[in-house]
Amino acid sequence: MEEKETFSYDPEVLARISALKLRALNLVEGLLSGNHRSRHKGSSVEFAEYKDYSPGDEIRHIDWKVVGKTDKYHVKQFEQSTNLKCTLLLDCSGSMGYVSPKQSGMIKMDYARTLAASISCLLLKQFDAVGLTLFNDKVMHYIPPRSKTSHLQHILHGLSTIEPQGVTRVDQVIEKLVERLKSRGMLVLISDLFAREDNIQRNLKLLVSRGLEVVLFHVLHPDEVSLPFEGDIIFESLEDDPQIGLDPQDIREEYQKAVQTQIESYRSLCLGLGVDYVFLETTTPLDQALSYYLLKRQSLTKV
Amino acid sequence: MNLNFLSPIFLFGLLGIAIPILIHLMTRRQQTRIRFSAVYLLLQSKKRAVKKSTPNRLLLLLIRCLGILLLSLALAHPIFSFSGPADLLPDSPSASVFILDDSYSMGFRSEEGTVFNQAVSRLLKPVGKIPAKSVYSIVLASSSTRLLQDWTEDPTLAAKLLKTSKPSFETTSIGKAVTKAIQLLESATQKDKRIYIFTDLDKNGWREDEFSDADLANKRYPVTLVDFSSLGTGSNLAAVQEAEVSQEFLTNSRVIRVKSKVANLMEDRAINELDASLSINGKQQSEGTLKLAAGEEVKKEFTFPLKGNEPIEGVVEIPDDALGADNKRFFFFQPDQKIKVLVVDGDPKTVAHQRETFYLENALNPFTVALSNIEPTISTLEQLQVRDLFDFSAVMLCNVRDLPFDYERQLEKYVRQGGALFIALGDEIDPKFYNEKMGNLLPVSIKSLHQVGRSDEPFRLDIKKSAHPVMQVFKSKSLEEMKSIRFNSLYSVEPRENRKFTVPLKFTNQYPAVVETDVGKGKVVLYVSSVDRDWNNFPIQPTFLPWIQRWVKYSAKGLESIQNKNLLVGETFEWKKSAADNFLFVESPEGKITQLAGTTYDETFTPGVYRLFKKPNEKKENFAPAETPESKVIPKLPENAIPAGTFTVNVDTTESVAEKISEEEVQKLLGNLQVQFSSGEDSHQNADPSSGTPLATPFLLMVAGMLLWEGFMVRRE
Repeated sequence: MEEKETFSYDPEVLARISALKLRALNLVEGLLSGNHRSRHKGSSVEFAEYKDYSPGDEIRHIDWKVVGKTDKYHVKQFEQSTNLKCTLLLDCSGSMGYVSPKQSGMIKMDYARTLAASISCLLLKQFDAVGLTLFNDKVMHYIPPRSKTSHLQHILHGLSTIEPQGVTRVDQVIEKLVERLKSRGMLVLISDLFAREDNIQRNLKLLVSRGLEVVLFHVLHPDEVSLPFEGDIIFESLEDDPQIGLDPQDIREEYQKAVQTQIESYRSLCLGLGVDYVFLETTTPLDQALSYYLLKRQSLTKV
Repeated sequence: MNLNFLSPIFLFGLLGIAIPILIHLMTRRQQTRIRFSAVYLLLQSKKRAVKKSTPNRLLLLLIRCLGILLLSLALAHPIFSFSGPADLLPDSPSASVFILDDSYSMGFRSEEGTVFNQAVSRLLKPVGKIPAKSVYSIVLASSSTRLLQDWTEDPTLAAKLLKTSKPSFETTSIGKAVTKAIQLLESATQKDKRIYIFTDLDKNGWREDEFSDADLANKRYPVTLVDFSSLGTGSNLAAVQEAEVSQEFLTNSRVIRVKSKVANLMEDRAINELDASLSINGKQQSEGTLKLAAGEEVKKEFTFPLKGNEPIEGVVEIPDDALGADNKRFFFFQPDQKIKVLVVDGDPKTVAHQRETFYLENALNPFTVALSNIEPTISTLEQLQVRDLFDFSAVMLCNVRDLPFDYERQLEKYVRQGGALFIALGDEIDPKFYNEKMGNLLPVSIKSLHQVGRSDEPFRLDIKKSAHPVMQVFKSKSLEEMKSIRFNSLYSVEPRENRKFTVPLKFTNQYPAVVETDVGKGKVVLYVSSVDRDWNNFPIQPTFLPWIQRWVKYSAKGLESIQNKNLLVGETFEWKKSAADNFLFVESPEGKITQLAGTTYDETFTPGVYRLFKKPNEKKENFAPAETPESKVIPKLPENAIPAGTFTVNVDTTESVAEKISEEEVQKLLGNLQVQFSSGEDSHQNADPSSGTPLATPFLLMVAGMLLWEGFMVRRE
């Protein structure tokens, strides 16, 4: 297979994959075990209507109770759950590589990776097709959606090999990607949204207009929200901004306000567009994020 | 606009600015670097937070640097003024003579030490910025009128000369200085010629006679007079005007008496307690408290027992006031000094006992010099010419017919300077000569000779109890003896007009026997009979010896004023001419030893005791004055130099009197010179760059402000 050829057997990558897989599976199993029953009671094999048997129909779908009562062959027709095509868009720009100097919290990229892996795992468990696009100012890696269970390996590999670098240009990436995406799919965007251009709104509109279900995971490290540093600090940009030396205390209030404003603007934007917006700090347990996703998904299938 | 620093040394403190810079750099190195994701947000926040943000470290650094800068500037005592020295000196090429009053009254205490200091710094400002092609010179206006700096264009010369200068101990003499300045200006080539006078306007320094040489009527130079009289702080309370010392050698006690005169210089204030003290040879001997009414002069007498025969160097002092120079008076006394007497024999004979002076010589010096302290030298009239009168404390003319031509003038000079003249008459004298030539010395003229025969009743002395210093020691027995003295011949005398004299001894017929008068500092005594036995039998009486000795000692009291001169500052000391055979040395109070070329010494610029030394000139034949054309300062006295006397130098207290001359009088004295008056105090605010607005206090306030701000910022950090 084509994907297989891209596999590298770097032990570090393998170790990371297995760790990622373990983490993802662990999370997903835990979540599903809590949700299992409800899911079975639910809508996955929901009855839709009867239909007269005609040759070619599967015999196991004949409702024998009805045959016994009416002597007519009716076949049970079930509402087929739509086969979801989900594309994960993971921001791999430099800013995602932020590591707290205090070594507190999870590394943002790892958090995002685990989130992506977990979602993939979850979706694949439900036989949905999952694809992965890694981007910074351009698409760095593209894995088309597949629903095979083994596809998880490709995704995990893709997630593991990537290192954050470059600048974020969500708009450019989405503009290119929109062509490839089939409508009525699902798009999960995981990013810190530290991009200076203000076109995300336009892009999100575009996506929504194409009938895509968009979930936006806004991932930030707590340091990026509260700016807890002390002393005289030179901030070097992880992307292409000039460095700046200052005392964070002087601008802490302003900064926090700016970040909150940004979050609020995304939240209100998404609300307006019908996009699901989930703000996550890396200290937020991932199962919360996933359970939110599941709830969302549930409500979607119910409609 | 002008900014000057009075203590520029503190400007080195500016180097201290390096300290906050170093601190800044060192703390800067401790900056941490963080790779951060949302730098653009930080940038945005920083832009927005500019107003609210606390001043950063750069501002802190700036404040600290500014604080140190201001502190250094404040300590350097900056003086700011709007007007520079340009208003004193013209911009065009000019020739300016600066007359700087350096009399001791300029040593008056002021805010900057002394008024003189202020005058110097005031003078240095225009000199320091003298325009190109302009020349200046500096004349010191104390009585010796020194030219401190001849014409020069170099502004640094004056600074070098003046920075170490101090007020002298002399009196002011503006007249001589102006004369000198005009002489200088005559030689200058510049068209614009000016005179600047920096003085305290002491009236004492503006004597009319001193202006007479200047030919002011034809001069039109502009004169700027900068008046420093108001800059003094405190007041010159009192001055010691006199200190005279004498030994009571007419009594047997060895007591030294120092008579001093202290004057209250203030016309409107009494001094209730003024401590006056007497120090002898550096140790305080006694002290007393004086009470002086406003303007009063009080005599204070100190007495103390004399121990040994050591010379006495003393000083009478009062506590320091605003003008210190006049609070001390030096004196010197050599106790039990031999009184050298020149006895002129008008009737010399080859047989000793027939000489006119036989009895006199024996009476003055019966056994040895040590007993009487009188050392008579017998001289004939012919020998008189080669004698130096100033070697002797007293001169006795015994039966001298007349004196060599014009010698009476020398005698008069001698007496006026403190010598004693004792004249005894006799058969040889020429009354006409005495009456015509000796008029300045004798208060009486010789009238006629009175004689009685051997068998007749002689003239007798009219002896009474007398308080006269000569007569007071004679007790009743001695007096009775004196009554029995027989006088066969005597001259009667009659007073000259307007002359004061006393008659301590009379004959029974009321003719004066002894006439005594003061001439100048000296004393003249006339004895109307003879000192040998020709006219009386007094010389063989036991009372003759004490009587004549006491007259000599009494009349020669001006002794010290001849041998130990008391000069005023700046006066020339003149040694006896006979001393010129020796090498002569003078040691000043500061310890400077000068070898004299001649017999005069004129560097009496410091009050105090000057010691004289001499060294015999062994190579007398080769000695020529040309070898030492000028007096020279030598580091050490030669080993075989022997002490040869002492003289004291004191300030002239006329300079202490605070009376100032008015502007009208100045203008009158300076004739056609256009005088512009400028107050040293006015220039404090305007013209004088050395005394503009002091900025030290505002700078210190700013430093305090900086410290507060800095503390506030550090706290916020």
